[in-house]
Amino acid sequence: MVNLIEMSNISKSFGGNLAVDRVSLELLPGSVHALMGENGAGKSTLMKILAGVHQPDRGSIRKDGLEIAFASPGEALESGISTVFQELSLLANLTIAENMFLGREPVTRFGTVDYRRMNAETRNALGELGLTLDPETLVSELSIAERQFVEIAHGIKADASIFILDEPTAALNAADVEVLNRHIRRLRDEGKAVVYISHRMDEIFAICDAVTVLKDGKLIGTRPLSEMTPASLIAMMVGRELQDLFPPREKAAGDEILSVENFRIDTASKAFSLHVSKGEIVALAGLEGQGQQKFLRALVGQFQPFGGTVTIKGKGLSLPVGQEGGIRQLQAAGVGFVPEDRKEEGLFLGLPVEHNIAIGLHARARELSVAKGHRNTVADVMASMNVKADGPSAIVGSLSGGNQQKVLLGRYLAADMDILLIEEPTRGVDIGAKSEIYGLLRDFANKGGAVLVLSRETIELIGLCDRIYVIHDNTVVSEMPAASATEHDILDAALSA
Amino acid sequence: MSRSIRRLMTGSQSRQGMWMLPLVLAVIICVFLAVRTEQFANPENLLNLVAQAMPLVITAIGQMFVVVVGGLDLSVGSLISFTTAILALDGPGYVLIPAVFILAALVGATNGFVVTRLNVHPIIATLAMQYIILGITRILRPVSGGTVPDVVIWAVSETFLGVPMPVYWGLFVILVAWKLLHGSRFGLHLFAIGGGIASGVQDAARNFGVADKRTVVLAYVCSSCFAALAGVFLAGRIVSGDPNVGLLFELDAITAVAIGGTQLSGGIGSLQGTVIGAAVLALLSNGMNLTNVSPFIQTAIKGSLLLLVVGLQSRKKMGL
Repeated sequence: MVNLIEMSNISKSFGGNLAVDRVSLELLPGSVHALMGENGAGKSTLMKILAGVHQPDRGSIRKDGLEIAFASPGEALESGISTVFQELSLLANLTIAENMFLGREPVTRFGTVDYRRMNAETRNALGELGLTLDPETLVSELSIAERQFVEIAHGIKADASIFILDEPTAALNAADVEVLNRHIRRLRDEGKAVVYISHRMDEIFAICDAVTVLKDGKLIGTRPLSEMTPASLIAMMVGRELQDLFPPREKAAGDEILSVENFRIDTASKAFSLHVSKGEIVALAGLEGQGQQKFLRALVGQFQPFGGTVTIKGKGLSLPVGQEGGIRQLQAAGVGFVPEDRKEEGLFLGLPVEHNIAIGLHARARELSVAKGHRNTVADVMASMNVKADGPSAIVGSLSGGNQQKVLLGRYLAADMDILLIEEPTRGVDIGAKSEIYGLLRDFANKGGAVLVLSRETIELIGLCDRIYVIHDNTVVSEMPAASATEHDILDAALSA
Repeated sequence: MSRSIRRLMTGSQSRQGMWMLPLVLAVIICVFLAVRTEQFANPENLLNLVAQAMPLVITAIGQMFVVVVGGLDLSVGSLISFTTAILALDGPGYVLIPAVFILAALVGATNGFVVTRLNVHPIIATLAMQYIILGITRILRPVSGGTVPDVVIWAVSETFLGVPMPVYWGLFVILVAWKLLHGSRFGLHLFAIGGGIASGVQDAARNFGVADKRTVVLAYVCSSCFAALAGVFLAGRIVSGDPNVGLLFELDAITAVAIGGTQLSGGIGSLQGTVIGAAVLALLSNGMNLTNVSPFIQTAIKGSLLLLVVGLQSRKKMGL
């Protein structure tokens, strides 16, 4: 088969920084090619070169055997290379339809933009993705997930032969991802070449045919996915085995710091109790949506359970806590809550790192007290967590996922919390940062903190935690030490309950 | 109901910006003046008003092209003076008139080149250009004098089919500007580029395949050419070349654009808003003259109005 695209020995540096170092990549028609690597491995840069955003310093690109070079994204698009960029790049002051057709608007006989045609075609394109948005809606009015979908619609509707999807699913839920996958398969069956960048293993194995792994700007290798397993892929990406990701467990747990008695999520569910001790990381495992999240959110006052009592550091509190004051009450007791969706619920994306961290300290101060800069604290946290940013004034939205997650964690570490409740500690975070975050949580526990964590990635819970509570049907069905637990054990406990 | 009225007034959820509020303001001023003074509703005064406002309307419309892409053009005032000075040179109209537009296009292209290729801030780039043109104008014509071609005078002061010429100027300018801004790909691209800049993503429109640099250069060319048109109109009114006639015109043009709801950060604005903004300024000065308000107070009122109207326009985020 003839290669559609052949990138050979591409190099690109920014300043003195070699972002891509002699990387070669071949794309076959009718295939979905995964591009993997940690954040900063050079995936996005390589794809931006193919999309004409950056020009390579060295190396050549051939399309259908002919050498090509793009001076601008417009030229790449004209040669049939369409991109869904990682950052949301839609223009907020334009309508959906205008964004969809920007740069290739149809015109009427009178030379005016043909809005009727643009709106009709946009409505169709959105309909195919299962969306019923009005094409004349300004993009500024859309939610993040809707914007992501419009971006995808823009990318995959283009009349192109090569499609680059750079983390298209970051803001999508499982059902939306399935819709996208269907379209990717359609493109593949039409003989197009698709490059797919994602951190989600299950997606990669669900739709990709081959995978190319980059590390530190260098090519590690290209393999057919049929020869790979998630574990071998991770090993290829990090250059080490999975076990090395997790920090060693501490032996003894201290005094009990958090205990929950007679907790009932709703009237129909069975009451259960659990406890967490100082120095412990405890997991809530099980199938998705079995009550783990409701339980965690009930402890911070964001979900109103039927009833129960919580004892934090010896002080009793009966649930449900008030919706208004619950979070402050728990915060005052030294409980920090790290929500699953750091972009929507956790961070202030438009604000600098320092404010995002310091707000944890401000939250406990009185409304009219002077808001101190907490510069030293912020600097200490950033240094101890190894946050990679251009200083404390860097805007959080500009950081990579892993660094954003560290900033969010840093907020609660800076505020000197005793207990952390964490949903999805490493969602959308690359392997290297994952390992660092695990280390940070373990350090926190070793210093006498307690962590209660839930995650969709069971392997993560097994590797990170000391004890696992398996939750099924809104109640705890089993408790096991993590050291000897397997994925099979947990599934078995959940389903046999 | 009240919410949708507020939405309409403030132009939120629209790319057109807040142009309804200045429209209401203009109507209020008109009604007030019609009731309070006898001269205002007089056809002669109204026609005079149109003729007086025309150079500002034209310049403000040109300025808007640049403001929409997040820029500013401070060179238009000097360019207006320069245009009158060129027109007052010895020579036939069929040479001088095309010449001023060619020169203006060159000035605009230079502004655009300096901004897009040399990455100089628009204020500095066009401020420098303002000084350069002012210097050349003063060399050409140190004090006002000379006469402009008859055709220019005719085109401004005569009537055609019983309608005074300034009305045709207004219609022509609005038609051309509407076509460029709201009826072409070029116009949409201007808003796209400005929208990207306003939300802090410099290359957003470029990533869609929009030829951003070329489009921005063309925006500066539009600004200069509209300013030259305003200069031709003014030359017809004063019949001579005057090195100071365009003085501070750029600031009035920016004021009109801002009052009309165009966001100086780029990406939001409308033609009707700009015309209304210029009309508000013209009505204000005409009305205050009719009611004998001191010119000093007039200036202070103009400033307060600018602050008030632009203050009301502030948006939480782009496009909201």
